[in-house]
Amino acid sequence: MLRSWIGSGTLRSLCARRLTQPALLYPKAQFSSAPNRYLEPPASADRVPLRKQLKQEAKALRSHKRQRKETEEASREEWELTVGVEIHAQLDTETKLFSRAATSTSETPNSNVALFDLAFPGSQPAFQIATLLPALRAAIALNCEIQPVSRFDRKHYFYQDQPAGYQITQYYEPFARNGYVDLFDYDGIAPEDGERVRIDIKQLQLEQDTAKSQEYPPSTQLLDFNRVSHPLIEIITMPQIHTPATAAACVRKLQAIVQSCGAVTTGMEMGGLRADVNVSIRRRGEAPGQHQYDGISGLGQRTEIKNLSSFKAVEDAIIAEKNRQIEVLESGGVIEGETRGWTIGTTETRRLRGKEGSVDYRYMPDPDIPPLIIGEDLLSSLRDSIPTAPDTLLTLLIGSEFNLPIEDAKPLIELDNGARLEYYYDVVDILRSLQVDQDDKTRSSLARVASNWVLHELGGLLAKADRPWDAEIVPARSLAHLIDHLQRKLITGPTAKQVLAILFDGDHRPVPQILEEENLLLRPLSREEYIALAESVIALNPQMAEQIRSKNQLGKLGWFVGQMMRTGEKGRVEAPKAEKILRDLIMG
Amino acid sequence: MSLLREAERCVANQYAHGFNAFITPLSRAGPWLDRVKEADVRKEEGKPKSAVDGRLISIKDNICTRELPTTCASGILDKFTSPFNATVVDQLEAAGAIIAGKTNMDEFGMGSHSINSHFGPVKNPRRDSSGEDLSAGGSSGGSAASVAADQCYASLGTDTGGSVRLPAAYTGTVGFKPSYGLISRWGVVAYANSLDTVGILGKSTANVRDIFNILNQHDQRDPTSLSISSRSRIQASIHTPELTSRLASAPLRIGVPMEYNVSELTPSVRRAWALSLAHLKKQGHTVHSVSLPDTKHALSTYYVVGPAEASSNLAKYDGVRYGTRAEGPDGDGKPDGYLFSNTRGQGFGQEVKRRIVLGTFTLSADAIDNYFIQAQRVRRLVQQDFDAVFAAKNPLAAQGTDKSAKDNDVDVIICPTAPSSPPRLSDLMSKSTKTSPLDAYVTDVFTVPASLAGLPAISVPVTVSGEKDTELAGIQVIGQYGDDQLVMKVGEMLEGRNLD
Repeated sequence: MLRSWIGSGTLRSLCARRLTQPALLYPKAQFSSAPNRYLEPPASADRVPLRKQLKQEAKALRSHKRQRKETEEASREEWELTVGVEIHAQLDTETKLFSRAATSTSETPNSNVALFDLAFPGSQPAFQIATLLPALRAAIALNCEIQPVSRFDRKHYFYQDQPAGYQITQYYEPFARNGYVDLFDYDGIAPEDGERVRIDIKQLQLEQDTAKSQEYPPSTQLLDFNRVSHPLIEIITMPQIHTPATAAACVRKLQAIVQSCGAVTTGMEMGGLRADVNVSIRRRGEAPGQHQYDGISGLGQRTEIKNLSSFKAVEDAIIAEKNRQIEVLESGGVIEGETRGWTIGTTETRRLRGKEGSVDYRYMPDPDIPPLIIGEDLLSSLRDSIPTAPDTLLTLLIGSEFNLPIEDAKPLIELDNGARLEYYYDVVDILRSLQVDQDDKTRSSLARVASNWVLHELGGLLAKADRPWDAEIVPARSLAHLIDHLQRKLITGPTAKQVLAILFDGDHRPVPQILEEENLLLRPLSREEYIALAESVIALNPQMAEQIRSKNQLGKLGWFVGQMMRTGEKGRVEAPKAEKILRDLIMG
Repeated sequence: MSLLREAERCVANQYAHGFNAFITPLSRAGPWLDRVKEADVRKEEGKPKSAVDGRLISIKDNICTRELPTTCASGILDKFTSPFNATVVDQLEAAGAIIAGKTNMDEFGMGSHSINSHFGPVKNPRRDSSGEDLSAGGSSGGSAASVAADQCYASLGTDTGGSVRLPAAYTGTVGFKPSYGLISRWGVVAYANSLDTVGILGKSTANVRDIFNILNQHDQRDPTSLSISSRSRIQASIHTPELTSRLASAPLRIGVPMEYNVSELTPSVRRAWALSLAHLKKQGHTVHSVSLPDTKHALSTYYVVGPAEASSNLAKYDGVRYGTRAEGPDGDGKPDGYLFSNTRGQGFGQEVKRRIVLGTFTLSADAIDNYFIQAQRVRRLVQQDFDAVFAAKNPLAAQGTDKSAKDNDVDVIICPTAPSSPPRLSDLMSKSTKTSPLDAYVTDVFTVPASLAGLPAISVPVTVSGEKDTELAGIQVIGQYGDDQLVMKVGEMLEGRNLD
């Protein structure tokens, strides 16, 4: 029944590219996109050495950041910022919310739609009970009170991506209320928030997603209804956030939590999660503001910024909106309750619609959908099966058992929906059993060594090959054996890396067999052999050896070590031993 | 008469004197002829599929049919054919019935005279003494006219606030609105979901009952269809010894609501009512005055709830995915304009627009508490009014609200279906006369309370011999929720009576 111009429309769905590692391995990369002008080549034609140029740029960036920090601090002392966050996340479900049509992200447009999804006359909703499970997992993970009875309402507005003319949501009686999320310093909250800040969650509601629309001005609109009625949860926090960094951390943490409990599949970077923020300010030390939101009174007039699609956008948009509000108030103006938008790369929010142009959604209970009644038996079985919370995992990993640095523990937890962590546990378990004969000190360092190999060495290979995570590429047992050999100094570090690459490329032989057959086991050099090798490399650059001796520049020993590794027999030169011999020879 | 003769005669009537009852009549020739012939064979063999095997049943044009268009009498769907059959259509066809075409109606069910149609007004097969065309009632006026004019055996309509009962009263047919949730609404185009029911129109209560028994099934595609367990619970609550004895051994207790004696009631209708009660009394039943104090608010409640839901339900008609688009580019030529403002502006008729605007207002942030929310409260009161006077407990009422039996509890309520006899079409259509939409709304005053409470109600024709001529009136029987069979039995006692 679809008109041909919709049915045969070839709206290309956004390709569901799998996550690649670098973005997540090095989360800071996202925040390093300094304003471009600092990175532009200098205007003058004079050749500036690259090294010098980089130094200058880094300096300029630092001073810009310091300046921004100072002005931010000044305004923070005078004005209190208040932010609340709303997040929409696509639930990981087989079917749509009110039909048995499959959910999909990359199917042929308009191939997964049921009569009700297209709002055909006479069709009725059929609530898909299974869609409730991921929603409940999210609610449990966010410490909410699950409501025994909740209901569905219609939120009306006209747009071509909304077939029924309304979205079915839970406005009056949401299924979960009164939760909270704890944000820690390691989550990236602002320093003034200390070690921990708790943000209350007002409610979670189930609702439908809209269609995808693409405009081809002046007169063509393509619509793909595959996404219509994909189940979403909306998470609404209380307006309790007071810094932009903490707001961004809150969104990031909420995403991590709903991902780790298996409620959603994709995050912001894939468009599976979008955030709205509401922003108000009030001058410190003055009479409380006139406005009240979600039971929190004394606030200033707030504005809403819609549809933020990255953590950085959340932070930058809040800073820009806060500064705009300060400017308006300081020049004697009044903040209008309005909806604003944010475009990545800009420095100002822009007005979308004012109060007078605001949409009256005419919320109405949906007369066709019975109330949702959730039994305690379902909840207790879900509570039993829910994965351990990321914060609990983090505490475990940085604790005495694993002793990992936070910057390793976090990616282990966050990567690959927990699969990387499972793999890591396997490697450590096998490794510990292989090393039962070793002393306690050696054994206690295993967890840390293993994390380095799982995250950085194996992760690096994955990133380079642009391959998605798969625990079977290099089986945990193989990696454990490899590390075991390394720890026992049966192979050198470079050999271990070489063998990992062999394994990564699909060699299924057991590690000991590879080492044997490829002749990679370390046959230690004798002291005499080391001395001969060291003397040969010193002879290549006696001046440097002299410098090291006379100026005590031990740091330059590394160059000679490198030369020894390079010229010596492959896989036989052990760097620490080489350095010791060099030191003895040069320093005397 | 063979089923085939009967069917051919009906179709001939559809084409001979239309009364504009059909938007899509049955084609004279088609596969249906063979199906009727097969039914004739089954009838000969004494093995009919059902009581309606081989019968022609017309379907109101807001009930989806795959073979015939479903326009809802609206310009916005004037060429629309649904990709699926309503459950009731499948049920009838499985029982051997033939879909006898799609009947005219008020656009989307909004109206009381079937004049708000993109395809022109329905005419009542009856005319007044001076030969003037009369209203067939609405919104299922085409269905009622098609039954009255022998253009089909029976008809399915929809009843949201009286849309089956009022046309039945005006055309002298039987119109039954079952308890809400008994008949599937899958494929029934929503006007106001919480009030919409499929209703049945026929020449006799017996015919109506046959069809009701076919359609009275749980349908998992309709989320408001009563579950099988709820159905057995309702059956259990109706089949207590006291309740099964009604009509069987014990006389009926008949309620007459004081509040229904309104000033708009015409003398002839009031007389028909009184004579109907007298007739039943003569049969040994007792008549009791009851009070339904919230009745006076029911009509305004209905005209808040109905349009509110309608404004929501009709938001889907934008001509984007189906339906008729306005000529040329839409959106007022502005790049960010709505793609369907002209389409909706041109596609909907006046009454539909009026109710959309009304409903949009009553749901708006500043008005919802005073209108929509308040109306929901009054709706609950209306239901409680009925629960208070019926001897049978409302089987859907919360457990533990056992009411103590009172002396004046009644089994059914009997009242007129409409306050007056059908008005002239010319009066309704002429803009100069005093008729306003409100006049049409008053027509629904006796039918909306049962709709608000979800109760079964039937309108049966009675005739009253007057001084000059015989007047026809519709008498309505209302029962407790789930008491559908009793309501039909009592209707049968009055149906077709000539009273004086």
